[in-house]
Amino acid sequence: MSTDNIAIDIQDLTKYYRGFEKPAIDRISLRIGESSIFGLLGPNGAGKTTMIRILCGLLIPTGGKVMIGGYSLRNELTEIRRIIGVVPQEIALFPSLTARENLFIFGGICGLKGSVLKQRINELLSTFGLERSQGMQVGLYSGGMKRRLNLIAGLLHKPRILFLDEPTVGVDVQSKSVIMENLVEINRRGTTIVYTSHYLEEAESFCSSLAIIDEGVIITQGSLNDIRKEYKSDAGLEELFLELTGKNLRD
Amino acid sequence: MRVLFALAYKDYLVIIRDRGGLAMLFLMPLALVLIMTSLQDNTFKAINESGINLVMLNRDQDSLGMIIEKEIINSNFFKVHNKIDNRIPTEKSIREAVASGKYQIGIIIPAKATERIREQVKRDMQVVFSGDSTVKPLNDSVFIGLYIDPATKNSLRSTLQGSIREFTAQVESHIILNELTQQINRHLMVKVGDLNRMKHGTVFYREEYVARGDKNVIPNSAQHNVPAWTLFAMFFIVIPFASSMIREREDGSQSRLLTMPCSYGSIMVSKIMVYLVVCYLQFVSIMAMGVYLFPLFGLPALDVSGKLISLSVMAFAAALAAIGYGISVGTIARTHQQAAIFASISVVILAAVGGIWVPVFIMPHFFRILSHISPLNWGLNGFYDILVRNSDLADVIHYVLWMLLFSIGCLMVALYYHRLRKEFA
Repeated sequence: MSTDNIAIDIQDLTKYYRGFEKPAIDRISLRIGESSIFGLLGPNGAGKTTMIRILCGLLIPTGGKVMIGGYSLRNELTEIRRIIGVVPQEIALFPSLTARENLFIFGGICGLKGSVLKQRINELLSTFGLERSQGMQVGLYSGGMKRRLNLIAGLLHKPRILFLDEPTVGVDVQSKSVIMENLVEINRRGTTIVYTSHYLEEAESFCSSLAIIDEGVIITQGSLNDIRKEYKSDAGLEELFLELTGKNLRD
Repeated sequence: MRVLFALAYKDYLVIIRDRGGLAMLFLMPLALVLIMTSLQDNTFKAINESGINLVMLNRDQDSLGMIIEKEIINSNFFKVHNKIDNRIPTEKSIREAVASGKYQIGIIIPAKATERIREQVKRDMQVVFSGDSTVKPLNDSVFIGLYIDPATKNSLRSTLQGSIREFTAQVESHIILNELTQQINRHLMVKVGDLNRMKHGTVFYREEYVARGDKNVIPNSAQHNVPAWTLFAMFFIVIPFASSMIREREDGSQSRLLTMPCSYGSIMVSKIMVYLVVCYLQFVSIMAMGVYLFPLFGLPALDVSGKLISLSVMAFAAALAAIGYGISVGTIARTHQQAAIFASISVVILAAVGGIWVPVFIMPHFFRILSHISPLNWGLNGFYDILVRNSDLADVIHYVLWMLLFSIGCLMVALYYHRLRKEFA
């Protein structure tokens, strides 16, 4: 991978939480290519969310160097915030506001205005099948509708890099299908996607490359085929995952 | 600026969509100020109208007993009873009746009290005029029994004691002058008239509420209570404010905002802008109630004429102080429960220490010093200076600055704590 094609470059990333002797992230180095769909997989407590929160600027790393879209995470966070979109696992919306009001506010914060913002909101509401319920308070939405709106809020400003934390958790098949199809389309237009999920089957078909993380350390990374070759296995992702992370229950 | 506008629009929508919360933000302070002012205003009236139950056993039936009974009845402060259950009371029955709370005060004037005072004075005069230093003065003190219900306030006890002391002194001086007249006429060559005729007031007092400038201010319960309870109500904005911050942190929407091109500072500033308007509207509605609605409830109207600018600036500073406090509580508290309990109790403590309930000047020395660190005390002093001491903005600007500094300090604490949380989680 040439340096020109790197969307995210992580070197020796480390994060210690206060009161814990063991690091949540232990000197991870990783490169994520432009326009790729990168899956960050791991059991509960492996360090996925910590890593995503660091990459989004929500946590300050204890050590290491991170470049996102050519900007330094340490010194150019404002620039990074302009080029990333984040879709958190929780429904991070204002429930007493309508869908349109939510999007108007998020779009405004991202620098969109006037007809451009209106057009973008209309386009996304239509794409994700929410145009008819755009005037309804989000608190009254079904789980699937909220999840779709949660995704739209991260896509409004056409981010170069999109972080998705469990984007399809708890949604029905129809919503999941709409979400995944559109994410593929968004990626096809050049957006780099960093994705975490516990749905390994979904990850297997969706991701162009992936990394399996456990106890703060990357166990393996590459395309699924590369990983299969490395471990000389024809197994599916779920089987490989269990083989690499073990069958012990995690907290 | 666009970011701030979008964030402020969000906070505005969140507030106006919560109709119940909005009603509480405005109606509760109005109710608080109205009720507290009515209570304070009516307490004295109510005492006057209904009277404090006082049972009296006047065994003297002479000057002392009669003057005490007459003056107590004339004071209109007490409802005087001479019987308990239609029977002439005894010392024991008075003790029991007061102990049971049926009467707040019991007074027993002993038999021949006036006569004993006369005897005492006569004996003393004889000693004085005889020139015989071997004759010892009679030592026969008169004890007036005063029984007080423990639930009765100390101030009432002191007032009553003072009044009885005054009535007793009147009777004593009358007897002394009578006796003196007789002794002079008996022993001296020159005849004198009744010395009691000399008794006329020579010392009077003139009462005036002094305020800055030429305008005389006559304080009333509205002037005293409205600023105090308005401040108290304004500071309760801390609870919804902190709750809104914690809710956004818990549901992830704050995190989402922080992944967008906006800082924690801008999120705070937008909230300050919106809640400042809320606080200010609270203040305006309470003032309007004081001016226009109080008279309809039989309360004295709040006089704000010529003071609106000063009051507005003070309200602005007080609102900023309250919101700043809310920001720090909302940032540091981890849960709604923590924020709600801490915020409500700490506001009550700050109010108590700040002199909202009990005037600072009657507090113990330690609390008087402590009151200087309560922003409610700064606000209260500022409002009092404007409303009852006729001060202008220049006179209270130091209170405004203190509150602004307090607000900035709270904001700094919140930003620092946010940074710590981001770094160490």
